[in-house]
Amino acid sequence: MKAGGVKRIALGLSGFVAMAATWELYKAIDGKLGPWHFPAHADDASMPHLLTIGRRFLQPEVRDRPGTVLQAVISGSWYTFRVAVVGLALGAMIGLLLAVVMERFRLLERAWLPYIVLSQTVPLIALAPLISGWGGGLRIGSLHWRPWMSVAAMAAYLSFFPVAVGALRGLQSPQAHHEDLMRSYAASWGQTLWKLRLPAAVPYLIPALQLAAASSIVGAIVSEISIGAKGGVGRLILDYFQRASGDPAQVYTAFIGAALLGLVTVGLIKALEKLLMRNRAAPGLHP
Amino acid sequence: MTDVVAMSGLSKVFNPGRANQVDALLEIDLKVSAGTFVSLIGPSGCGKSTLLRVIADLTPPTGGTLSVNGKPAAQARADQDYGMAFQAAGLFDWRKVVRNVELPLELRRMGKAERRTRALAMLELVKLPDFAEHYPWELSGGMQQRVAIARALAADPPLLLMDEPFGALDEMTREHMQAELTRICAATQKTVVFVTHSIPEAVYLSDRVVVMSPRPGRIVKVVDVDLGARTDDMREQPQFFKKVTEVREALRGIGAGAPRGVDDR
Repeated sequence: MKAGGVKRIALGLSGFVAMAATWELYKAIDGKLGPWHFPAHADDASMPHLLTIGRRFLQPEVRDRPGTVLQAVISGSWYTFRVAVVGLALGAMIGLLLAVVMERFRLLERAWLPYIVLSQTVPLIALAPLISGWGGGLRIGSLHWRPWMSVAAMAAYLSFFPVAVGALRGLQSPQAHHEDLMRSYAASWGQTLWKLRLPAAVPYLIPALQLAAASSIVGAIVSEISIGAKGGVGRLILDYFQRASGDPAQVYTAFIGAALLGLVTVGLIKALEKLLMRNRAAPGLHP
Repeated sequence: MTDVVAMSGLSKVFNPGRANQVDALLEIDLKVSAGTFVSLIGPSGCGKSTLLRVIADLTPPTGGTLSVNGKPAAQARADQDYGMAFQAAGLFDWRKVVRNVELPLELRRMGKAERRTRALAMLELVKLPDFAEHYPWELSGGMQQRVAIARALAADPPLLLMDEPFGALDEMTREHMQAELTRICAATQKTVVFVTHSIPEAVYLSDRVVVMSPRPGRIVKVVDVDLGARTDDMREQPQFFKKVTEVREALRGIGAGAPRGVDDR
């Protein structure tokens, strides 16, 4: 491994250690500085020791039954991950398609863009049960609407937005002389899209996809909680919360699972960036 | 000799009938015969770039007739009868140099092997064969502009349209590129219409220098240059300076005072 890689891993770890130390320090000094406590509770029920949380991972999820919390969190996160990825893929496709159409027809850009922005101000927690309700009776051939599909739909609903906006900017990014060049070759609209606009949009799409990936995870977890869909980490958060008074550490295990899920997803987009941007000039290298 | 570009009474009016109406080109008559190098020179706003864009069918004329390669301009564009180079090299960052040169051939749906062979031959012509597998951002400005010329030549069009292609280069690189362009044109027998605002550049490169005046854009004088073989020495010959002076005086005659936007260098 290169020295830069080691340095980055060390930096990442030091951030984690700093966070853990702050957590434990906060707990340790609470009540020790005088006859008062921090406004945010630091007792073991509100902020369990990290060691307790860590241990909780390895203990059975439900007493005297097989299966540890770790297994439950991993399987729940994996389930949510797959649903969110379906939503992300769907949302990215819809976003890109909207951007292509808006780039082609300026009028539609003016007509649609306000609604696309508006769509993101609808409270997710209210929308999820609605979608679930509408979808509930849906049947396409032998395919029944399942709760996970509502969750994926919500993930798509959140993730299409950054992609639509980012892709539109990217598709519009070629300079006038690039467009003139394509016109001088009598290139068709499709050829110009494929050979100029889409490649030019890639640097704009990557950050948009990162936002979309994070949104798809948030969307999936919030709608799992909102409609109580089974199988995912959102449901675990809901279940563990109901037992939080007796088992506070368990709630945090699900939180950590959800946080790692977001990190992994954004990390995957980073890998995609490495792949797609390998041919591009480093920033600032442009003549 | 046949005329590759022929226009008569050509006009271009922007925003006709409105308060911000601009007569960019007025009654232009110009013929460019096969194999000749014609420069359009004039102060900023004289419509020389607009004239080039009209020939390229990137913007329609508002009056007069125009034929390019013996057909309507739109047809000539559809047939890729001309190659174009701009002040910005305009290479695609994400394509290797050789694939940039292949672009016009790809759009004509030429086979992969054939267009690769053709593109490499063009890079040979502009003396950049070793840079085929590089990315444009790894090249200097002058090299990028040579790639752009290779790209303009790739489909072997009879006509080259160049809009201040060396305008962004430093003086040394610029003179070198002028010599290279002369060599390339001699080797390929292309007809060239070249927009510039540098008088020595126009005189050095051209068989004919077309001097234009602004608002409305008109041709005020056509200077025939017949200096024989272009060499670096020629830049210091009295005949060269005589032609430079002739063009400069034509430009001075346009209006009171020194014309703005014209380079004397």
